[in-house]
Amino acid sequence: MEVKPLELTTLVPDAVAQTEAHFFNEVETQTLRRFCQVLMPPLKGFPGALDADAPEFLDFLVGVSPRPRQQMYLAGLEQLDADARKKFNVPFAKVTDDQADELIRPWLRAWMSDHAPAEPHARFINLAHSDIRKATVNSQAWSDAARAAGRAETDQDLYWYPIDPDLRRETGTALRRPATTAGPV
Amino acid sequence: MSDEAVDVLIIGSGHSGGMAAKVLTEKGISCLMLNAGPVAEAHKDAEVKPVYALPFRGFMPPGKLPHVFQSNEFNANTWVDEKEVPYTYDAEHPYNWVRVRLFGGRSLFWSRQSFRLSDYEFKGKSHDGYGDDWPIGLADLASYYARVEEIFRVTGHTDGLPQYPDGNFVPDNEPWSGSMQRLIEAGKKMNVPVCKARSSMGVNGLASSVNLLLPDALATGKLQAIPNVVVRELSVDKKTGLVNEAHFVDRISRREMSVKARVVVLAAGTLESTRLLLNSKLANSSGVMGHYLIDQIYGAGIVCSVPEARDGKGTRELMGGGALIPRFRNIDTKAKDFIRGYALNLYSNQHGVDPKHFAEYGAKLQDKLDSYYGSGFSIGIMGEVLARYENRVSIDKTVADAWGTPALHIQTRYTENEFNMARDAVDTAVALAESAGFEVLTKNYDPNPPGYSIHELGTCRMGNDPRTSVLNKWNQSHDIKNLFVVDGSAFVSSGWQNPTMTILALAMRSSEFLAEQMRTSNV
Repeated sequence: MEVKPLELTTLVPDAVAQTEAHFFNEVETQTLRRFCQVLMPPLKGFPGALDADAPEFLDFLVGVSPRPRQQMYLAGLEQLDADARKKFNVPFAKVTDDQADELIRPWLRAWMSDHAPAEPHARFINLAHSDIRKATVNSQAWSDAARAAGRAETDQDLYWYPIDPDLRRETGTALRRPATTAGPV
Repeated sequence: MSDEAVDVLIIGSGHSGGMAAKVLTEKGISCLMLNAGPVAEAHKDAEVKPVYALPFRGFMPPGKLPHVFQSNEFNANTWVDEKEVPYTYDAEHPYNWVRVRLFGGRSLFWSRQSFRLSDYEFKGKSHDGYGDDWPIGLADLASYYARVEEIFRVTGHTDGLPQYPDGNFVPDNEPWSGSMQRLIEAGKKMNVPVCKARSSMGVNGLASSVNLLLPDALATGKLQAIPNVVVRELSVDKKTGLVNEAHFVDRISRREMSVKARVVVLAAGTLESTRLLLNSKLANSSGVMGHYLIDQIYGAGIVCSVPEARDGKGTRELMGGGALIPRFRNIDTKAKDFIRGYALNLYSNQHGVDPKHFAEYGAKLQDKLDSYYGSGFSIGIMGEVLARYENRVSIDKTVADAWGTPALHIQTRYTENEFNMARDAVDTAVALAESAGFEVLTKNYDPNPPGYSIHELGTCRMGNDPRTSVLNKWNQSHDIKNLFVVDGSAFVSSGWQNPTMTILALAMRSSEFLAEQMRTSNV
């Protein structure tokens, strides 16, 4: 019997749903949102970071990332907010564009891939900027805008699924045997 | 089931294993190839997707592949996961071990830069007194290089430079773009030769074991292959001292099996071949197995912009194309604070400039990106790392892979020679770019961690003296005459060159020697 393939056009969840953010607290979230808004506003018909849900996506990504990335974000957002309160007596979430520029610009660097700045706050500012751009440019909202502008689709590539995945890995710890064992038992 | 020994057991299916299989089967010798990973087929294992539909929106899956800087979310599942096959290193000296276990190995993904070593590499000690000469020279390998270049369809230009030996090229007569011409002129003023790069065209953009070598072997009817089997140990016949059996684990079921063989050819890739021999406690009467791990410095370089190409003026006449500056230090002159040398890769780009290269954000950054689009020009180092006894691998008995085989511990670090070389390369690149009238946007002096180049070499080096080398000049074990190691483990020095052509030429030469030894019953 022939089985007809299901004719179904699927959606990605972002097309209709919101990410439920859990990782950053309220102050951190508001700081991140303002940071995103300043670094990547909507321009020339393309969505800004907020339109692309970059803050919510980064909340998810950072939340499931190894500790060093989490610590970088937490410390960096805290310093942005502390600097804003110290210098302008407002939380970072409420700084004007000019005030934000004063807080961000001194830390901006031109850098090469795999060689982000070493000083912790400069590292945060530049890596987070890069992450925010990536989360925005790689969003469906951006892809739709590019298509509307008649730009060639550059966001597609060959995605490799796990190939013959090793199912045992998911269930048990690795076998261990001494190096001296000669061959199979 | 079968207790009958196969003629030749080949472990590994990349460039070196593929070449061994091709040469041996074409001479009528039956081969069995074992490969640790699966056969990848794009039509069943892959799908074209937009980046927004990937699980992590194009970010690397968090925590996965922390040492594979080359990976991205699209290809993340094609690399070896270090949780599955772990390795260890001292925390202050990390190593990027970048591996592929799919059938065809890293030959599926290599950059295809295709160079011969020169006698400045083969006979480095004779030139500057450091390290050891190889037991062979360019003259020994030239005819093999020529045949490899034919198979891989290497495109290049004949330059007549002794440090950049010419080969059997598909002629590259593409005219230089204007930006490259300016760099060439800048190079002339500084006595730095700017040449055409050399690259394997392969067939349909793929220059791999799976399309250029293994099909010929399979066509003979003499090659059989098993995917998804992880070899854990080789054993020897106690009477003869010859290697006669390989013990392996089925990757998916974990069934332990073994196969008998008359000859074993190791082609598992530099560090996996060495790990297997160390775990088997074989072929190491010299005590140098695992020592002299070498690679190449990458990551130091600059990014510039060609001012005349900005604001939509980056025509095909002005921009585009690559070039290569072969080693020019320590040939006729002497650099002040390092020995050996480096090459520079040059690329004139017609696409967008990476936003990282601008200390800007928001609308001003977008203006920069729009203006600089199609004006980018990058220069990066490929530098020789010196062979040192203390850069070594050993077995870490406290850590095992997913199949219970003890892991490798990697101890390696760069020294002043490498750091000084990187500094000189970046300063030279800046001087060239500025002389050509380019704007330098950013530069980086720090090499990537050792291993990043994916050009790990040595650890079973060849030599004439069995007391100081693991293999003889035919890639044959000094200790066990029916054991051959045909991958990059045999290298005595790295040079600055992508080692693939040399690995292939050595594997071809070694396999022909082996076939002749088998014909005359010496092996």
